[in-house]
Amino acid sequence: MEPATSSLVLKGAHVMDPEQGIDRVADVHLADGKVQFVGSRELTPNTKVVDVSGHYLSAGWTDIHVHAYGTLGFANPDTVGVYQGVTTFVDAGGPGIGVLDQFMELLGNLETTLYAGAFIRPMGLLGLNFIEGDVRTLGEVPITRWLDFAKQHRDLLRYIKCNAIGDYGPGTLKLTKGLAEILSLPLYMHIGEFQLQNPKHLLAPEAFRIAEAGDMITHLYHGNLGQVIDESGKVLPIVREAERRGVIFDLGFGGYNFSWDVAEKAFAQGLIPHTISSDLQQFNVVRPVKSLANVMSAMIRLGMTVSQVIERVTRNPAKALSLTDRAGSLKPGLPADITVFRVDTGDYEIADCYTKVRKAEKQIVPVLTFKNGKRFEVDLALAQDESNWFLQIAEDHVPSRASSLSERQRSFLSALAANLSSINWELSSAERLDIEKALELQDIFHQVRGKQGLSLKEALQSVYASFLDQNFTMQIGLLLLRLERPFAIQRLRDVSGQRPMAA
Amino acid sequence: MAGFRPDSTKFPARANLDGQGIVVLRTKTGFRGVQRSCPHLQGTMMNAELIANDTMVRCPLHVFTFKLSDGKGVNCPGFRLKVYEIKEENGMFFGRSVN
Repeated sequence: MEPATSSLVLKGAHVMDPEQGIDRVADVHLADGKVQFVGSRELTPNTKVVDVSGHYLSAGWTDIHVHAYGTLGFANPDTVGVYQGVTTFVDAGGPGIGVLDQFMELLGNLETTLYAGAFIRPMGLLGLNFIEGDVRTLGEVPITRWLDFAKQHRDLLRYIKCNAIGDYGPGTLKLTKGLAEILSLPLYMHIGEFQLQNPKHLLAPEAFRIAEAGDMITHLYHGNLGQVIDESGKVLPIVREAERRGVIFDLGFGGYNFSWDVAEKAFAQGLIPHTISSDLQQFNVVRPVKSLANVMSAMIRLGMTVSQVIERVTRNPAKALSLTDRAGSLKPGLPADITVFRVDTGDYEIADCYTKVRKAEKQIVPVLTFKNGKRFEVDLALAQDESNWFLQIAEDHVPSRASSLSERQRSFLSALAANLSSINWELSSAERLDIEKALELQDIFHQVRGKQGLSLKEALQSVYASFLDQNFTMQIGLLLLRLERPFAIQRLRDVSGQRPMAA
Repeated sequence: MAGFRPDSTKFPARANLDGQGIVVLRTKTGFRGVQRSCPHLQGTMMNAELIANDTMVRCPLHVFTFKLSDGKGVNCPGFRLKVYEIKEENGMFFGRSVN
């Protein structure tokens, strides 16, 4: 990692910028963290030159669907961001309106630009096997609160997400569409039933009916219930109709959501995702997703050209997210967000989320990332490190970072333990989560920190540091709910009683 | 556990305990039995990986990880893997459910 230099030329790469129609060897001039222009000019003696000949170069990649925050997020989300060639990403459903304030505390720590694809449920995505999709009444959508948040933080929100799964009927989808309209945001829907074995009413077709131009449907090539093809392999008319209306189809590879069989049949009929996204999270980064680059390589194997793939991680997501004023192109004046990459030739294997593996001859390998002109060396192994994705409660020891907590934070933990001691909670099932209880625990957290006059960041840090060795961030109500009550209260007391380290 | 001979068996090994199919793992401290399939999406535990100094087992499908002591999900709260204590007495092997 190097600081942004005032003037820099990236020399000799094959530049791909679909937005400007550039697909040739050219130099890219950067100044003060912005793109100056693509082309040749006599260099001043002070200009720093980086020789990137023999490589490809594009605008920084945008991943429209990752899980940076919450129960599926990473200890260091930059490991799937700038360290994998991705300069902008969207958290697809991690936060809901009840935890967007907590989500925002994560932003200041990141080099990669993170936006929220906020979830319809106040607590955000639950992850694991907890049954999703249970927002069924208007009363569960606090519209005034959403409007107030959007007024203050409009820039943060890029879409509103819901899951077209479960057996509740299309109510959740319609409620989410309504909220998205109220907020003037696109609707983003997950398709593919992977929780219920035999739902009476598949919701994927409803998603295609409800979506309008600019709305997005993710997991286009999933192989679960509710596919885009029928039993004979033909693309469903309802999918074609949505495509004609201008609905945006997103890949969303994920741990459950990409099937070679479905992809090959649909692709052969011309059903192609408009955006390529990874759906990276704790449970798929080791396999099968690995990185956005691996997903892009899968699309090359499927039959896309390098140029088509780049368009789907630059120009198209920038348009879908209304980010063309700051991402997706190398136009003069835009932030100097750039990815330098190779397209290697060899013998590779790319697995889908099921049991199928395809031999591949091409592999996309990001090498360098520039974020606002600041340089990062790509290191794909960082995301794979167990400490980055294996979220483990430190049950048998107090995390060392707890010793850095301030006296005020310890006092807060003591008060939190006292307040929680009158509440009962239990995580009894892998399928059913007591969301009301999680919200109650979270309310207590906020009440106590309010009384103690502690900032949200300080309060979150003190709880995370009491239970987690790594810097995972998640909905505080869900973190507390997953802990066994006696252990949680005792640990808060133990940490609050520790003497702070001397300066 | 009829027919189960740890001296000649590769591990993980399939075994039957009171009519229940289990997978026997060899750890640094002996043997441990677990249910045949992961409680998440039924991935086979024959391909499971022992980690954390052989105190945890991890399903290869989605890295759901469980403690071998009591079967509790480590990164998957609410999930629990059936775990079996395996002991040898006079050349015979016996198993007993832990959880």
